[in-house]
Amino acid sequence: MAHGALFMLGAYIYWILTASEFHGVPLEPIQLHPGLAIIIAVILTAIAGMIIYKLTISPVIEDLIAVLVVTVGVVIILQETLIIEFSSKRWPVVSFTKGFTTFLGVKVTYSELLAFAVSLCLFTVLWIFITKSKIGSTMRAVAQDREVAMLMGINTDRLYTLTMAMSASIAAVAGVLITASTSGFAYPHMWDTPLYMSFAIVILGGLGSIKGTFIGAFIIGFVEMAFIFIMSALGISGAEFLKGVVAVTVMVLVLLIRPKGLFGKRVEMED
Amino acid sequence: MSTYFRRFYSSFTSHVVDIPPRLLAFLLFLLLLTFPVTKPKFTHLLLLALANTGAIFAASWDLLVGRCGQMSMGHALFFGMGAYSTGMLSIYLHWPIWVTIPLSMVVSVLLALAVGFPCLRVKGPYLALVTMSFPLITTGVIFYFKDITMGERGLSGLDRFFPFLPYEQQYLAQYYFTLLLLLASGIILYKIANSHTGIVFISILDDDVASKASGINITKYKLMAFAISAGFASMAGAVNAHMINSANIGMLSLTTSFLPIIITFWGGIGTIYGPIAAAYILQILDRYVLTDVVPLETHWHMMIYIVLIIVLIIKWPRGLARYTTDELEDLEEARDIDERGPRIWKKYKKKEKK
Repeated sequence: MAHGALFMLGAYIYWILTASEFHGVPLEPIQLHPGLAIIIAVILTAIAGMIIYKLTISPVIEDLIAVLVVTVGVVIILQETLIIEFSSKRWPVVSFTKGFTTFLGVKVTYSELLAFAVSLCLFTVLWIFITKSKIGSTMRAVAQDREVAMLMGINTDRLYTLTMAMSASIAAVAGVLITASTSGFAYPHMWDTPLYMSFAIVILGGLGSIKGTFIGAFIIGFVEMAFIFIMSALGISGAEFLKGVVAVTVMVLVLLIRPKGLFGKRVEMED
Repeated sequence: MSTYFRRFYSSFTSHVVDIPPRLLAFLLFLLLLTFPVTKPKFTHLLLLALANTGAIFAASWDLLVGRCGQMSMGHALFFGMGAYSTGMLSIYLHWPIWVTIPLSMVVSVLLALAVGFPCLRVKGPYLALVTMSFPLITTGVIFYFKDITMGERGLSGLDRFFPFLPYEQQYLAQYYFTLLLLLASGIILYKIANSHTGIVFISILDDDVASKASGINITKYKLMAFAISAGFASMAGAVNAHMINSANIGMLSLTTSFLPIIITFWGGIGTIYGPIAAAYILQILDRYVLTDVVPLETHWHMMIYIVLIIVLIIKWPRGLARYTTDELEDLEEARDIDERGPRIWKKYKKKEKK
């Protein structure tokens, strides 16, 4: 749940590293190439993820409610820090490349294409890592039953730290990609929309299934875009405010009809 | 007459005075009741009245989470819905306040049943996250129907509670009204939490599979906890909206969802009376210590509370109320009774014994 924070942190680090000026202070001399900036952002966010885990999550890991409260607390702390430090203004973020191409009559910018390619690669790597590698199978074992995994000689604390670092870096990549390609701004409330989108996606795809998550993301994205398109074709304005309603409606329908999601295997549900 | 009085007196001494925590609660109530004698500024009266509604809000969250274990991070949904529905009814239909507040409670209970039925199929962290998304969505809907809900500015100019009184006395009347409301709803919530239904809630908190195996219809009881909690939360929201004369987007924000969490963890989760006491501490800290004594920007307030919360959860998870009652009574049995409370506390107790 601290992912909202890490997502935002990644985007802000990327922004400050590539920004040309801040409050009139020129940052030209330390301005970095976007590629280098994204690597630094990912590394710093991974370290931040590990620190957050060690300081806050690790002492209360046995209690899910406490973990949730603590992690959401971390998000709010970061949000307030960013508001104090950088004000709640929207900061424009440099995109990777300029220009666009036309694909099936739709304007697609190069940075969106790049974001698509990067996320596809990440997805494949993550899937292979979790299903094939030894650490991946250890992770799945710990997710199934922490205590038994501990009895089998897995150092769960170290594994959690590693998982946290990994997911933090992925969250940072997501943050940078979203700010640099689609939304174009970094602001302190940027974490809430992706948050409920991702829950809708995960519940639609099924908990604990990466393939389901991938397909769920496409379904939710297409349904939302189709909704906005139809609404604007009908001449109803302001449909973008109702975008979240669509995602949550899909989520509620899935919960009512098929509570384990499209590809869910793990039975975390009540019935 | 005198026998009735004597009987009342003896039952009062045996039920309140002889039990130190209850005596403490009674003294706190007396203190709050006699507070206006000191002729405070009416802004202070308003702040304490707001603390009363905050206490109802936090106690309703505590019933749902601390007693039934259904983690809700979107309790602002009910608070905000209460405020908005009473606001819309009183602005557009000009219905009197005493009709709109119960109606807004009914609206919220129905909403809780509608939201709760799909949501309660998921458990634990997923439930928290799903409930957290609903206030965000509602904010989007409110922005969409801008011409009715006034969008970002929010509804303003709601009716006051006692418009027939002179201006200063209105605040006093409001204060007493909310205090009595708090007393009534606090007693109702405490009674529910310690009734047979409350024991079923605790069994769901401890182990929902086992309680299902014992033949309890857990969906029914979860929905019941959700609806009761939503009703009291929306009452707090509606009363709050009428006191500050507006219903705004801030009432649906994540900060509002986190308010009962902060208060409850300070007071002691699962106690019902803990959050009520902690609500005053938070309000005094927020509006007096951090604004008048040590003036700080509002963004710093939230940060300080959250840092305090994290430290408390890690180091002192029993909260203020449990600590006080333990110190007062110094009874091992009392601790055993309290063990019906949340898991966090049990873990702590085990550590203590070593």
